[in-house]
Amino acid sequence: MEGRQESSPMEAFDKDVLEMTVEDVYDISYVIGRDLLKVNTGGREFSDLQFKIVRVLEMFESMVNKYNLSMEELRMEMDNMKREMDRVVAEGSSGNTNNESIGTNKLVVDLKDPNRPRFTMQELKEVLQERNKLKAQLMVAQEELQLYKSGVLGSEQSMVEINLDTLPQSEPEPSSIIENKEKSTIQKLFSFRQK
Amino acid sequence: MAKKTYDLLFKLLLIGDSGVGKTCVLFRFSDDAFNTTFISTIGIDFKIKTVELQGKKIKLQIWDTAGQERFHTITTSYYRGAMGIMLVYDITNAKSFENISKWLRNIDEHANEDVERMLLGNKCDMEDKRIVPKAKGEQIAREHGIRFFETSAKANISIEKAFLTLAEDILRKTPVKEPNSENVDISTGGGVTGWKTKCCS
Repeated sequence: MEGRQESSPMEAFDKDVLEMTVEDVYDISYVIGRDLLKVNTGGREFSDLQFKIVRVLEMFESMVNKYNLSMEELRMEMDNMKREMDRVVAEGSSGNTNNESIGTNKLVVDLKDPNRPRFTMQELKEVLQERNKLKAQLMVAQEELQLYKSGVLGSEQSMVEINLDTLPQSEPEPSSIIENKEKSTIQKLFSFRQK
Repeated sequence: MAKKTYDLLFKLLLIGDSGVGKTCVLFRFSDDAFNTTFISTIGIDFKIKTVELQGKKIKLQIWDTAGQERFHTITTSYYRGAMGIMLVYDITNAKSFENISKWLRNIDEHANEDVERMLLGNKCDMEDKRIVPKAKGEQIAREHGIRFFETSAKANISIEKAFLTLAEDILRKTPVKEPNSENVDISTGGGVTGWKTKCCS
């Protein structure tokens, strides 16, 4: 304010209109008012002109005021948006490996694709381990069956065949006999396992 | 336990880039057959073949791995149990040859130190499409001190020879056992060979 008083009010006339403040308008008004006093004729025409000049200066004041206010609003709005943008950018770069933004090592999955990846590597590993274990067991069983059939192991394969053929057809025999037959089959299976 | 139909059990492993013919090499050896349709191996599979070497019945359990990178974690967990590893490349595919060093590093990282290694240049029937000269395969094998064969599962070239040679090399490391079959059965139960127990006891 002190500086303002020292500088001449006439300087306001040289200012860029977009940089003008309300104070500048007041300076201009002060100068115009002072000069008008010097040429005051006291006539009606003069007072009419003075009234119009004051009116125009008021309009100018209002315009400068509004312009500056909206400029201030825009500046604040811009600062807010800048801050918001910086926040989003910072979040995006730090949260890259988490979710939302697709990073370099991410895969987009179409949930409607029936062939989409669904199982984890661990699940696949377990399924494969079980498959291979069962396959190995089947091979052992096949091998033993082959040996059994070819007569290398045990010599009772005919007994099994008879057993299978006769059992369902035979009359209901005393249970002891059936048990004997079953027992003998089991015994034979057992004996070949022990060899 | 049932009487064993073999004297020794050797576990072998096939590795190499996807599409070089690992499954076909194995299928030729185990079933003496060849199939032209390419079905990518899922994770890991195996086949069994019993051979006779030096009067011994040797059961070969041969693990076939998926070459695709996405199965890497599954396949590498099978390196440890292997007594012999066949590294296969495709003589018509330069990339599969370049990747040999990568596969050898995998062996160093995941397999037993004393595992028998062998290099196979497969598809040698396709001479018109050859990109990798035989001499280059021989050279890299020599540098790493491992055996090398050019094979063709399709034309049945050197497949059996490769497997039998690998099995012989493993057998050579296996200490000679008394001709007491029961003794052998017990010592090889669970797939642990004699030469392994030797280093641990």
